[in-house]
Amino acid sequence: MSLDSASALDCKTGIFAGLKVADFTWAAAGPIATKQLSDNGATVVKIESFKHPDSIRLGGPFIDDKPGINRSGFFADFHSSKLGIAVDMSNPDAIEIIRPLIEWADVVAESFRPGVMKKWGLDYESLKAINPSIVMLSSSLYGADGPWARHPGYGAQGQALAGVHAMTGWPDRPPAMPKGAYSDSVSPRYALSALLAALIHREKTGEGQHVELSQVEATTQLLAPELLIYQATGEEITRQGSRKAGSILHGIFPCEGEERWIAIEAVTEAQWTAFTALLGDTDALATARDQGPDALEAAVANATESWDAFALMAACRDAGVPAGVANKASDLLDDDVFAARDHFWPLHHEEMGTLKYNGPAYRFERTPSDLRFASPRLGEHTDAVMSGILGYDDAQIAAFRERGLLG
Amino acid sequence: MTGSKQALNGVRVLELSALAGAVAGRVLADLGAEVIKVEPEGGEPFRRSVPTVPTAYGEESGAWLAFNHGKKSVTLDIDSDEGLATFARLCKTADIVVTDWERLTLAQMDRLGAAARDANPALVFAEILPFGRGAPYQDYAATDTTLQALGGHLYLNGDVDRPPVRISLPVGLIQGGAEAASAALMAYHHSLKTGEGQRVDVSVQECIVWTLLNSTMAWQILGLNEMRGGAIRKERANRFFTRLVWETKDGYIFFGPVGGGGGAARIKSYEALVKWMNEDGFDDPILTKNDWNGDGQFFISQEDYDAVTAVIMSFIKAKTTEELMERAVRERILLAPISSVAGVFENRQFRARGLFRKLDDPARGLSVELPSHWANLSETPLADPRPAPAPGADTDAIFAKETEGSLT
Repeated sequence: MSLDSASALDCKTGIFAGLKVADFTWAAAGPIATKQLSDNGATVVKIESFKHPDSIRLGGPFIDDKPGINRSGFFADFHSSKLGIAVDMSNPDAIEIIRPLIEWADVVAESFRPGVMKKWGLDYESLKAINPSIVMLSSSLYGADGPWARHPGYGAQGQALAGVHAMTGWPDRPPAMPKGAYSDSVSPRYALSALLAALIHREKTGEGQHVELSQVEATTQLLAPELLIYQATGEEITRQGSRKAGSILHGIFPCEGEERWIAIEAVTEAQWTAFTALLGDTDALATARDQGPDALEAAVANATESWDAFALMAACRDAGVPAGVANKASDLLDDDVFAARDHFWPLHHEEMGTLKYNGPAYRFERTPSDLRFASPRLGEHTDAVMSGILGYDDAQIAAFRERGLLG
Repeated sequence: MTGSKQALNGVRVLELSALAGAVAGRVLADLGAEVIKVEPEGGEPFRRSVPTVPTAYGEESGAWLAFNHGKKSVTLDIDSDEGLATFARLCKTADIVVTDWERLTLAQMDRLGAAARDANPALVFAEILPFGRGAPYQDYAATDTTLQALGGHLYLNGDVDRPPVRISLPVGLIQGGAEAASAALMAYHHSLKTGEGQRVDVSVQECIVWTLLNSTMAWQILGLNEMRGGAIRKERANRFFTRLVWETKDGYIFFGPVGGGGGAARIKSYEALVKWMNEDGFDDPILTKNDWNGDGQFFISQEDYDAVTAVIMSFIKAKTTEELMERAVRERILLAPISSVAGVFENRQFRARGLFRKLDDPARGLSVELPSHWANLSETPLADPRPAPAPGADTDAIFAKETEGSLT
């Protein structure tokens, strides 16, 4: 093993040092939540099998553009600092391994379609019977009950149902698909807050509980104001292209080069004055402003298109004007703010080499997060966990393997 | 739900906020914390941000009302020496402070943070900033839209014949708020165990990067900058463009019938679609020409893809959104309505699960339902909405307790 297995099993630093997590989550929303635990010192054991690997292991980008179970950068980014074991959960005897893992754990996390954990005898009531103070996190797309509970789906359906998709794009066109799968990125923040509240409650009272949420419902928090306004006034707010009420100037403007764009917003008169001064032609821009948003946006676009996007952003920053280059992924890897903030963590993986993983969006002043090691290959830590955490000897592990349980 | 216990009962939070900080306070209040807004005389400016709704108090911000119900309010001039001293005394009784850059300057945060730390070393001081703390970037001007751009999400949205387009919601600020809530609770968890408080700062730009899912890996591994798309785009590093927004008889659905990864569920979804199409007389050989969702999906030609899309499109255009979703749920077809605000409000699944809870605010003349029940905690349920405070509504009550010496 490329990492020191003893320290991987028992991290001594970080907010969650000593916290033990049995992690059955898969895809994006669940693993992004448990990554916040592992990157802050928790011992997170991810359970998969070769029959049913995490599906995002099958999603690209793949190293060398060749699909493979241990080759997905998509999977890797969400699994830093986690241990990976392979247990065939479809074998009824798997409970012989999982039961002691539940006894060991403080937290069991899962993001299956409702019913899967129960089928394995691992629903909350069963877990509680094994470990009375367990905290269970269940995150599913639609939630554990209701008419759509067992309907399969991904975050892309989630962002459509949560209203985020319809709020993206131009009013005169069909809604544009927001990149990604918005419920997969919004819901982990809510899941984690609820899970932490449950852990805090347990710390104070000793009582465990089941935290259950729907990723789509958590994502509707983004539209809480629009839902309130709709009921209070009857007005149904929808996508507005690049316009925004209340700002003097708000838009996405072309710059020099291929697909180079900059977002600029002037909220105050002072920002407007500073912006027109740095572009030069203040009179023409003032006239255009008087003529309305179409004229204003055309005049600003005309002025920005000869600028280098990054030079214009730097000038805006000096002048106190909010401006942001529409960064491409390649720009993010070179972003000076991210570099200064150490956002990316280079981690070495035996099959994938060294890649830069995304670190968290928060910084603790006293208890820094630490992406300790790269994502696990499928089953990479099976033996280490079986011996180091569950206390089995080599002969016992060989016997489990003989019976087909560890694969 | 009645007066059952809540997970964060007994936790006191001070909130100095515009939108992002209010969202952080919202999450903590939902989980049972006592959240006290610290506002200037007359109320914080965000109370009046557009768009507003008419209430008995005049025009009030819809976003302010949506994120500030069930909180308390004290008014305090934090820039005066006396106000700072009062804030410090309040910090002795508090566990968490949340704030954001649209409400306070960095200088104000530093001044309050230092006083808070002196008063209570166990306190968690959470700040939401455009780029975070610690380098010259902490002073750059920013707004939600410029951060949607800098985080890399904006570039990936919209039709190729127009500039990139934002999500018309302040997604960065709201996600920054939710991120701050979870980060503050992590730090509070640590403080509870060790007595050590600390500052935690959240970068909205980094929150936006976390919405990209695989873009930064796609660049590193394949040298690929994905191109934006509107209804049609290249998904998950596919080699071809796929249609993802489909017009129905009465609206739009999201659907990726072929390509795009996803394994067994996608394969079954496509089989169920083809079965339904066959029933309706759609049996073009293109429907079964390729291994559309299996291992072969990575080698499909754009020409074949466009041909299968045309056939599926004519099938979907003849169905209503409701009809499509009903069959989809029954037969596990991976599509979903692209819901408008009204669609979210009426969603059958949300209604069955009780996501929406009533906010009755007779003093304002406001009665609405909010999506406030976003999680089910079996032993400590989330709080139900209660009216938002008038500015300074709780000043007397909170400071009266203080003079009696019973601080919490």
